[in-house]
Amino acid sequence: MVFTILLLCIGTIMAQRTITGTVTDESGEALIGASVLVKGSSIGTVTDFNGVYSLDVPEGSSALLFSYTGYSGREIELTASNVLDVVMREGVVLETAVVTALGVRRAEKSLGYAVQKVGGEDIIRSGASSAVDALVGKASGVQITRSSGSVGGGSRILIRGVTSMVGNNQPLIVIDGVRTNNESLVRDIDGTTAGTATSNRLMDLNPDDIESMNILKGAAATALYGTAGAAGVVLITTKKGKNQKQIAVNFSTSAGFDDITQMIDLQSIYAQGSGGNYRGPSTGASGSWGPKVSDLEYATDSNHPNAPTSANAFDAAGIYRYDKNGFLVPSGAGNGNPANTYNNVDPFYQTGMNFTNSLSLSGGNELATFRLSASDLRATGVIPNEEYKRKTVKLASSLSPLEGLTISGSVNFSKSDYVRVQQGSNTSGLLLGQLRTPVSFDNTNGFNPEDAVDQVSAYQFDDFSQRNYRGGGGYDNPYWVINKALGYEDVSRTFGNVKIDYQLNNWIGFGINIGYDITSDVRKQDFEINSRTNANGAVYLDEFSLKQYDNYFNVLGSGQLTEDISLNYVAGINAFSYNEQRTSIEGTGLVFPGFLDISNASALTSEQDINRYRSLGFFGQAEASWRGTFYATLSARQDYDSRLGNPTNFRLEDTGFFYPSASLAFVFSELMDNTDLLSFGKLRLSYAQVGAGPPDPYSTQSVFLAPSDIGDGWGDDIGFPIGGLTAFDQDELLGNADLTPELTTTFEVGLDLRFLNGRLGLDATYYNGNTKDAILNASLALSTGYENIWLNSGEMSSQGIELTLNATPLQTKDFSWNTQVNFTKSENIVEKLAPGIERLFLAGFNTAGTYLVEGNQYGSIFGGAYLRADAGTDKDQSLNIPSGAVVINDDPNSSEYGYQAVDPKQRAIGDPNPDFIIGWNNTIAYKRFSLNFLLDWREGGDLWNGTAWALSFFGRSQLTADTREETATPIEGVKQSDGTPNDIPVVRDENYWTSSLGGFGAVGEQFVQDGGWIRLRELGVNYRFPATSWMKGGSIGVSGRNLWLKTDYDGIDPETSLTGTGNGQGFDYFNMPSTKSFIVKLSFDF
Amino acid sequence: MKIFNKFLLVSLLTCSFLSCEDYIAGDLINSDPNNPTSVPVTAQLPAFQIALADNVGGDFSRFNSMLVQQVEGVARQWSAFNQYTGLTPNRFDDAWQNVYENTLNEILIAKTSSTTNGYNHYIGVLNIIEAYTLMMSTDVWDDIPYTDALQGINALNPIFDTQASIYSTIYALLDEGITLLEGPSGSVTPGGEDVFYGGDVAAWIKAAHAIKARGLLKDKDYAGAMSEAGLAFTDASDNMSFQYPDANAAGQWYRFNRDRTGDLEFHPTMRTLMTGLNDMDRLAVMDQTFVTDHTYLIPNFLQELITYREMQFIIAEADQRAGGTQAGYDAYLAGIRASFTRLGLGEAAYEAYIAQDAINPGVGNLTLETVMTQKYIAMFLQPEVYSDWRRTGIPALSPVSGTAIPVRWNYPATEILFNSNAPTEGEVNIYTDRVGWNQ
Repeated sequence: MVFTILLLCIGTIMAQRTITGTVTDESGEALIGASVLVKGSSIGTVTDFNGVYSLDVPEGSSALLFSYTGYSGREIELTASNVLDVVMREGVVLETAVVTALGVRRAEKSLGYAVQKVGGEDIIRSGASSAVDALVGKASGVQITRSSGSVGGGSRILIRGVTSMVGNNQPLIVIDGVRTNNESLVRDIDGTTAGTATSNRLMDLNPDDIESMNILKGAAATALYGTAGAAGVVLITTKKGKNQKQIAVNFSTSAGFDDITQMIDLQSIYAQGSGGNYRGPSTGASGSWGPKVSDLEYATDSNHPNAPTSANAFDAAGIYRYDKNGFLVPSGAGNGNPANTYNNVDPFYQTGMNFTNSLSLSGGNELATFRLSASDLRATGVIPNEEYKRKTVKLASSLSPLEGLTISGSVNFSKSDYVRVQQGSNTSGLLLGQLRTPVSFDNTNGFNPEDAVDQVSAYQFDDFSQRNYRGGGGYDNPYWVINKALGYEDVSRTFGNVKIDYQLNNWIGFGINIGYDITSDVRKQDFEINSRTNANGAVYLDEFSLKQYDNYFNVLGSGQLTEDISLNYVAGINAFSYNEQRTSIEGTGLVFPGFLDISNASALTSEQDINRYRSLGFFGQAEASWRGTFYATLSARQDYDSRLGNPTNFRLEDTGFFYPSASLAFVFSELMDNTDLLSFGKLRLSYAQVGAGPPDPYSTQSVFLAPSDIGDGWGDDIGFPIGGLTAFDQDELLGNADLTPELTTTFEVGLDLRFLNGRLGLDATYYNGNTKDAILNASLALSTGYENIWLNSGEMSSQGIELTLNATPLQTKDFSWNTQVNFTKSENIVEKLAPGIERLFLAGFNTAGTYLVEGNQYGSIFGGAYLRADAGTDKDQSLNIPSGAVVINDDPNSSEYGYQAVDPKQRAIGDPNPDFIIGWNNTIAYKRFSLNFLLDWREGGDLWNGTAWALSFFGRSQLTADTREETATPIEGVKQSDGTPNDIPVVRDENYWTSSLGGFGAVGEQFVQDGGWIRLRELGVNYRFPATSWMKGGSIGVSGRNLWLKTDYDGIDPETSLTGTGNGQGFDYFNMPSTKSFIVKLSFDF
Repeated sequence: MKIFNKFLLVSLLTCSFLSCEDYIAGDLINSDPNNPTSVPVTAQLPAFQIALADNVGGDFSRFNSMLVQQVEGVARQWSAFNQYTGLTPNRFDDAWQNVYENTLNEILIAKTSSTTNGYNHYIGVLNIIEAYTLMMSTDVWDDIPYTDALQGINALNPIFDTQASIYSTIYALLDEGITLLEGPSGSVTPGGEDVFYGGDVAAWIKAAHAIKARGLLKDKDYAGAMSEAGLAFTDASDNMSFQYPDANAAGQWYRFNRDRTGDLEFHPTMRTLMTGLNDMDRLAVMDQTFVTDHTYLIPNFLQELITYREMQFIIAEADQRAGGTQAGYDAYLAGIRASFTRLGLGEAAYEAYIAQDAINPGVGNLTLETVMTQKYIAMFLQPEVYSDWRRTGIPALSPVSGTAIPVRWNYPATEILFNSNAPTEGEVNIYTDRVGWNQ
């Protein structure tokens, strides 16, 4: 470009006519400093701050060439007109600079590892209110799973699968050069499979503030971040003010509408009861194994021979309390009004709505720039009473008082408020009670579902006891859940950085970057008296305070060593500190109903929990290049991590660890004649190591705790203080002073090919890695006195393929079609666990849980299986389902005669890791219109349908209505006693589904289902307004998310995770349903 | 790699310059500020005393009293347990964890610090609690780890000691405990934090004799058992027990009935037996629906670990086996009376009950059958009833399903999984493999 400007200076006076115009990008934003060159000459100019150019063109010139860093070059024929406006498209141009580790901008062509960029427009266009959700399908090697459809629910990101066996596997989030927390803070009362949804804290960033996101995938790319970057890094660059004459104003507003996608099929034929006999709500019967509803009718007389006998069935006036129509009796015995069936599910949900308004002002001159933005999001959930509100304010500014000196900084403030609903495996969980409710019981008590939300008599009797289908026992009425067991969360957060850069000369520059991130998260969880999880009522207060500081001092520079060899380097120090403090107060035994406050509790316990650690890193990286063809990069880092320190015998060397990386880029196209076909070709090779300390602090010592879990899992545990006495016992986790860092070594090879001047590009990467001495929470035999210990004992290998295909199949003056396909396949095999440990629990249940199992994929679902005739090989014995025929129990005295026999060993019954993921992203533009769509294909990835499992026990699923009606037929298999084909006819009725083979039984394999999908993740149409005298531009867009979903999964949308963003994935146990959204967005630039 | 070495050198120099040791180690940053690394024995004692009491009143009470048909599993998992088929190894994980991790390991730590500090009375008390815990465990699991146990990472696969050697250990612990309690106390003695006895040394010595009597009885040393029982409790106020304070820390049975309503109920076998003995007053207290309204299984339940009435029945049984004397007969009646008192029934109810010839047949006419039947009733929900039934077969019980009632517990699943020295699942048959003293 410098050359172009020189050309301009030399500029000729041969001009015959003057062409003027404006150069803008696709969003209509002016491109400043774009170069304009007359084809076949050296005559050219650059655009000004408004993107306007004016160029004197000699007679006979045929076309103008436009180019701009990061955009596809364009050649436009000259016509008679003297005005030529040009829209430039961001493109696969060879000189693109990318942001790499520590914010160092390097030429993309020089990188020996994969980096993928996602632009701000793609984020905004997705319609997602969280930056993480917006990333789905837009980069290879990235897997994102939304945990639920609850508003403000979190999403889990994985880059190249998992890196750590039990530690953090989500990538480091770096915003403007400093680490920013993306944690999901979980309360003690929530556990992993119950409680309320949790957010991941990146949601606090307004997506409109994002300029771009760069995904650093492999260890070579993240080496400079050390331990913290082991799971990959997402580098987020936020928008800044530009050197421009006027203040630019952008205002955007959007409205979104959410509905649930799909639900499990419930039967609507059979009433509450067991053995075909009706047993009404006052009996507490849990199942829907009663008679057909069509064989029942109402009666109201409390002296009726079939009237319920329970004391709570009628009020003092003799009126039946559970149904305004009366109690149910066999047809012919009552008042002739046939029994109703009630849909307690679909009408319960509402259309969730969200409204976002966002305003930004930006501007600047040579001396200083600024950008100020503010946004406001208000969302209500598909579940009534669920809410999410977010307000953000961000100021980014910079000052360049002296040549070479820049002082910049940004401050983000956000405030998020949530109202959350109990979910998952808990008796106050919304879907747990909702889906189990028999079709003969009306959770609304006769109200319209919309009205029942506010009708206390739907869920509570006058005596404050609960109205639900099990006589006050069992599970909470859904309307109780959303009124009497709500969680409130109030998050105030500020993060940002101050940065000073001074470039002395090409060879030496200094940078200081001081980053902070402070979060206050205040929560309150209510449980009214007579809630099923807390019959005496409870109020829980939790206050999280999270502070992290991330400071860098860098020296960097670059230059030519010789004509052929150039060098750049960066070296520095990084000091990081983390402090998370949680104070919780648990108030139980509420004195009277209706006042959900801690002052109403008769017993209080409190707890403080501080997690803190610090790390110090020394790093350096040097890149040498030869003639723009070979690029070699070496980097190294020495880390000290306080989590490895032993406080009683501290030695600095115990906490330190060193690791190197090397990468090579070979731009072989430089050595070839520049053909039109292959415009760019690069081979990448890299090798890197990265170390990591234990996932939690304080792992090197054993501690004492005041036990809070005295009991044996049947009744609720009790905990100290007990009767005013406090005591301590040794933690079940044994400290280990001998911990050393775990080390992951990765090798990566990649090929980057671009054809037809960048209109077609293919980027392919293969990697494999190995983690040794992985720090595991190893289980111990309890006779050792401890339950587990952190141990350097695991080994895991990983490999994967990533492909990104970019193409611009069509491009004319007005029309263009850009398409991108991202393919991701990754595999993580657990090679070794701790000695004597066959498997390691991650999350889940007894019947089906995710484990690390030697020789298996990470997080395999392990659980109960049918017995097979073929015992399998030794290896199969305890791991996988043997291939033989299912064995049928043919002991006539057994209550499970004719059913599948149960394998005494638990087996690997499912693999929650997808076989591959493909995101197909398209943008079709015609003049001012554009259409974009993203197809998201996740192949395979098992999900254990615990909802279907439990509902089979209760006779509530459609499956159980079908099977109980089937004619008796033998189950396919061989008989246990003699191995002959089974010929014992059975009906899969109540006895079957409540045996070992049904819900809550030992067998889990029958409910492992393929959780893969193909979905239309995004679909949007956008129109850009033309500039007017009062408005520079703007757009109106309509988009949808998840509008179409195809899956074999028999339940809610399989994009779900009971454990939220945790490592144990692959469970659906009464998870909140997911949503599809429709969004309208208007944006104006002034 | 030279460049890396230089790099390392430079960074180490920089590190010392910046005092990075202070940054990483300062303020004991890797030391948990919320949880201590050591605690005085006085702060430990209530934790494992209550863990033990809760285990006695929890799985030990429920499984054992279900197996002898005092209670019946009628719903959900408990109906499978009632059929014995559900008594799979994983069902015993919690009880085992409460024994090893929450009781025995705590005792070991407490004993180590008490020994260092010379708290002799504390060591004596710890010995007695340890002996009690070992006995209740070996009585259901037979061989269990002891000599090799509780060493953390130094012995990952503890070997299993025979029941005979566990019993020897128990007697030795008790004898040493009595000796220590009879000697000088040391500077810190058990006091108000002792939720069993409030630091009452004499009561602890009696408890040691009571536990010894309980053991000798199973070892068929009836004379020894009788003499130890004679040195044990003189009335119910000596009982080793834990008083649950309130609804916020409610008794095990109350919590079970509240949170697992309908899983267990009073057993028809016991109902029939007591009805046949015209034992209607005690039956009325015991035979209520197992819900939170139960008048005996209340929030502030008195969880007894070993009692005066059990001692009286030990004396009665030993005496009866030796031919039967007035002293044994008196003990028999004292046991029944203590049972009535425990259930909140007055003297009149007791007098009316023993007015029956079948209950009070006179010294010469008492039978072992009658003694053991009365003990079975008096020990309602006490885990020890399962040992008594296995020893004597009284009362006669028919299996709920199959052909036999289990005579022991399975080893827990986690121990089988993580301890390579544990017998595997197939090696133990809960219907036929009788524990040591029962062979």
